[in-house]
Amino acid sequence: MQKIKKILIANRGEIAIRIMRTCREMGISTVAVFSDADRTSMHVRYANEAYHIGASSSSESYLNSAKIIEVAKMSNADAIHPGYGFLSENADFARKCAENGIKFIGPSPEVINQMGNKIQARLTMIAAGVPVVPGTTESVKTEKDAIETILKIGLPVMVKAAAGGGGKGMRLITTEKEITSLVRSARSEAKSSFGNDSVYIEKYITSPHHIEFQVLGDQHGNVIHLFERECSVQRRHQKMIEETPSPLVTPELRQRMGECAVNATKAVNYEGAGTIEFLVDNDLNFYFLEMNTRLQVEHPITERVTGIDLVKQQILIAEGHVLQITQDKLRQTGHAIECRIYAEDSDNNFMPNPGRIYNITQPLGLGVRTDGYVYEGYEIPIYYDSMISKLIVWAENRNEAIARMKRALYEYKITGVKTSIKFLERIMDTDDFRSGNYDTNFIEKNKVELLAEKKCSTETEDMIIIASYIEYLDQMNISQISKEMYTAQNRWKKYTYQKNFERL
Amino acid sequence: MSVQIKLDKRIASVSILKQFENLLEIKVDDKIYQIDLMHNDEGIFSILENGRSYNIELVPQSKPKHYTAYTLYDNYEIEVIDAESRYLRNRSGVTQLLSENTISSPMPGKVIKIPVAVGDEVKKGDTVITISAMKMESEYKSPIDGKIVKIFVAEGSTVEANQKLIEIE
Repeated sequence: MQKIKKILIANRGEIAIRIMRTCREMGISTVAVFSDADRTSMHVRYANEAYHIGASSSSESYLNSAKIIEVAKMSNADAIHPGYGFLSENADFARKCAENGIKFIGPSPEVINQMGNKIQARLTMIAAGVPVVPGTTESVKTEKDAIETILKIGLPVMVKAAAGGGGKGMRLITTEKEITSLVRSARSEAKSSFGNDSVYIEKYITSPHHIEFQVLGDQHGNVIHLFERECSVQRRHQKMIEETPSPLVTPELRQRMGECAVNATKAVNYEGAGTIEFLVDNDLNFYFLEMNTRLQVEHPITERVTGIDLVKQQILIAEGHVLQITQDKLRQTGHAIECRIYAEDSDNNFMPNPGRIYNITQPLGLGVRTDGYVYEGYEIPIYYDSMISKLIVWAENRNEAIARMKRALYEYKITGVKTSIKFLERIMDTDDFRSGNYDTNFIEKNKVELLAEKKCSTETEDMIIIASYIEYLDQMNISQISKEMYTAQNRWKKYTYQKNFERL
Repeated sequence: MSVQIKLDKRIASVSILKQFENLLEIKVDDKIYQIDLMHNDEGIFSILENGRSYNIELVPQSKPKHYTAYTLYDNYEIEVIDAESRYLRNRSGVTQLLSENTISSPMPGKVIKIPVAVGDEVKKGDTVITISAMKMESEYKSPIDGKIVKIFVAEGSTVEANQKLIEIE
């Protein structure tokens, strides 16, 4: 067993800080890496050591595996935690870590590859007895085969690039007359994106639920699942809200899906934390979608209901410890919801909105957790993801959790950039979300209510006008704005009084 | 000298009638309010009006006398129009007309592609520039049939919010 004393975190933003927090609790020293744009980022300030690794664009910094390994060796880090995104599911990087005597916190390169290739992952799951979406088990090489297969499976179907990902080379076919043209365009896009025009075909499930299971596996073959996360609230195929337990899942279904998740994980000798994603239809049929071989963005809701620090488990597993948690001891206590706060303009097609944070007040109080990384005066770079924070609440039951989330969103104030906070609060108010009766079609279905023009009353407008006027008068009178720290006397209370003197 | 406040599209006149420390009697258009107003140097305002509590934050913009106001859920673009800005507005009346044919960036980002060159004829709806921010690419289209007069930026350069990109005539 190898004790890890220092970890390099090959990531940025909130997840880098999330990982460092656990390291700090475990007495492990942390190494941050940063790009040109991230010199002032919070993860650099939080870490014990920080090293520059390249220019702002990800390809020259956070995706530069050679440079990251060089920094790890130079700083004597025992292990690298990849977080999510960037190099977290890069088998090559995991292999290079091993070759350089650095422990990669995650599964083996072989498993990453096996789960990264969609067709191979499907085959593995079928062999392990896990239900998959009806479709082909081999890539379809010619156009004629593709059309025959589609007719056999029955419409609607999804055509996907075998080597693909990120929505490239993916086509939804709903009518017979578009089969030929869509198969052609999927194949040509697959060819140009991945240099390989083979595709595979899956039955398309209309408005499914997206439900995933958290799993943990150690180096000794022990595997447990930590229940489900319901991730059906999505926009542009990106998750916005996650909750656990899922309002759809019955105890009996949870048991069956949990067993499948454990079997799937065992089938690949999985080491570390992973996620098995399922599609679930309204008749509670579930199908394996894919396995994410890393920590997920939404892992905190699982931590809230189980009380288990997943990053700590990842590190213990990487050290070679036997899992101390057994399936029969695990319980889901209460209800947890996560909202992702994006720097974006919800009223303008969710357009990203980078910029400088002017003021930020994060919510506190019973049952509230925020995982974020921005601070007052911080300029959010244009090069990376627009997610600035995750707001996680926990309560005894679902209704209380929704009420608490609404309260926390009310308290959350970020000025300087536009955020998804208002949009998220409106979701909390929809009948479909409150009743738990929603699927991946939720945002599209509730669009009118979610995007309605509901501007403030005239009175509120008038108050804004008054505030602007007072601010203007002050600006005319003050020669210099001070940011000084005030002494014991409360300047806030005396402010107008003092200003009147200045005006005399 | 009267001062007007522009809130999005609304323009309102405002004047203080009475003031005693934090208590104000203030007129907005033809409505008179008695309010209790506290604020600090960083644009955070707490206003009590008839028992109701309003929390407003003002963030100064790069142009003087321009702010973004944040209430609970909404934000508004604010401009203070005083004698000086009225004068500047009148003088720049001509260029304002022109600027409707200028494409500017609504957000900071990086210029990915400019498929046009100065002198090119473009049709309304043609893409003239692609900007990427936070892993998302947005295409900006010509608002008119016309000719590219000026290109202010180059491919690969980064742009600020509200920066002029391309002028079309």
